[in-house]
Amino acid sequence: MEDAERDPGAELAAVVAMRKLADRMEDAAVEKAMRAGWSWSDVAQALGVTRQAVHKKHAKRLIEAGVRLRRRK
Amino acid sequence: MARTYVDALLVRASEEARLRGARLTEAEHVLLALAGEAEGDAPDLLAPAGLDRRAVQDALRREFEHSLGEAGVSVTDEEVLRPRESRRKPSDIGESGRRVLEVGMASARKRDLGPAHILLGILELKVGTVPRALALAGVDVEDLRARARARVDGA
Repeated sequence: MEDAERDPGAELAAVVAMRKLADRMEDAAVEKAMRAGWSWSDVAQALGVTRQAVHKKHAKRLIEAGVRLRRRK
Repeated sequence: MARTYVDALLVRASEEARLRGARLTEAEHVLLALAGEAEGDAPDLLAPAGLDRRAVQDALRREFEHSLGEAGVSVTDEEVLRPRESRRKPSDIGESGRRVLEVGMASARKRDLGPAHILLGILELKVGTVPRALALAGVDVEDLRARARARVDGA
């Protein structure tokens, strides 16, 4: 596993790490946007997902983090 | 011991998973739970290998950065490199965690299943995050396995 750079183990580990990175970046970026007063609709458009999806994934966490969320427009 | 030990360990492992924002309890969370034990076989075996809970966390962080490097990605933003705790407990045990328990249980008679057996299960893993993290941390896995095996056989 240590010599071949492109062995499946390394490639699969890269996939795992990239997913984790994307998840953490999403959490941080959505929080930043909502703190800056973005609406759920704006965040959903920017992420290319439905408003319901982004709300379901982040609303509780952000409310618990004390982020003041904009009313739906 | 036995059942109750594994049950208690799994509760702690799932808490480790939650603290790291993981959806499943995986082998690395079991290892973190073992490394967090204050006394007994776990620290007796892990400490000489330089593995306390903090060292395991550091090794996992290194593995994460190294695997990002495999994808050609280099990250300096501390906010995304640090694990983020989740509100929710992991929903299930992952395949690597299941494998650890399976191998650990196979190495024990029901009654004396303890930390050394679980550690053996962890060290038997050939792929995934834990073996990569241990290799990057320079842990002498063979030596650790031999000592865990001796502890199991002597018990």
